[in-house]
Amino acid sequence: MRKITVAAIVLASTALVAVAQQPKPEDEIKLRRAAYALTGYNFASLGAMAQEKKPYNKDEAIRNAEFVALLSTVPKGFFSEASQKGETKAKPDLWANKADFDKKMERMNAETAKLPQVARTGDFAALKKQVADTGATCKACHDDYRAK
Amino acid sequence: MVNPVRIWDLPIRLFHWVLAALVVFSYITGKVGGSWLEWHMKSGYAILALLLFRLLWGFVGSDTACFSHFIRSPLAAMVYLRALARGDVRPVVGHNPAGGWSVITLLGALLLQAIAGLFVDDEIATQGPLAVKASNAFVAQMTRLHDYNQWVLVAMVALHVVAIAVYRWRFNLGLTRLMITGTLRGNLAPGLSVPRIRSTGLAVACLAIATGLVYAVVEIYPRMR
Repeated sequence: MRKITVAAIVLASTALVAVAQQPKPEDEIKLRRAAYALTGYNFASLGAMAQEKKPYNKDEAIRNAEFVALLSTVPKGFFSEASQKGETKAKPDLWANKADFDKKMERMNAETAKLPQVARTGDFAALKKQVADTGATCKACHDDYRAK
Repeated sequence: MVNPVRIWDLPIRLFHWVLAALVVFSYITGKVGGSWLEWHMKSGYAILALLLFRLLWGFVGSDTACFSHFIRSPLAAMVYLRALARGDVRPVVGHNPAGGWSVITLLGALLLQAIAGLFVDDEIATQGPLAVKASNAFVAQMTRLHDYNQWVLVAMVALHVVAIAVYRWRFNLGLTRLMITGTLRGNLAPGLSVPRIRSTGLAVACLAIATGLVYAVVEIYPRMR
């Protein structure tokens, strides 16, 4: 009986995964925008601390950094060819230069991945620098592939 | 006997050169981005304070600084430019009728840029101090405006510099030197009168008011609920 239940759950979850692996283009847009919104919210908090507009709090910085590191890896899976059209600020150039976009995305993810470890050291100057370096990799894509 | 005539008062000259330096600094820090954006914003606040000072000084300042002194009709500007095109430089004290409009549009475009900048959100890590106070739609509009208007400014600054060069090389008028020393060597052309120069103390008071206003807008108001 238990075996059957486990099997059923496994089956059901693989079905869910299968669905989750190929969202509709409009859901891709929804998912990447949601991920960017949450990434942006957390990164803005780090930015405010780095620019001393908000008091530096180590624990909050770590939490923000972890969210950014994780969430910023989400959108890359949701830029299929079919997701060009819809409620998106992504320019068609993005798909015309997909290899360049992917490279910039990779660079951004490389920088966001460093954020949590830097935040955990509690070294404010280092965090400030890492936030600036990370921000530059965000900007690289915004400049080329995001409509104003 | 040649009497030197003071054309530009000290406040105007300081205003001009500090503004020029800050505009270049703002352009560069805006392009470099990253942690330089903190300096870009501070430079913008300083520019805003200078522009507000200039507005005040345009009402209570020395003759050559006063709007009422150099804002002439568009027709007068046309007449002046036509004479200039014939090689006839009509002598003036302070801004000429065409230059007056150039000053007004340049100051206006800079003011627009500084005010729009207060609302900018780069959607990465940097926000103007008033972005939190406005709707996202307005913030997006101001961000676009701040972005496009920079090229209007670049074009206007280029025109300004070209005009100065034309006066220098074509008409042998050293306007740059005049903006540094403030003093004209030689007598005024007949019919022109020596401008009245206001005290620098009054200018300091104007600058204090302008700085206080900017401080209130960027430091106090955003923290108010």
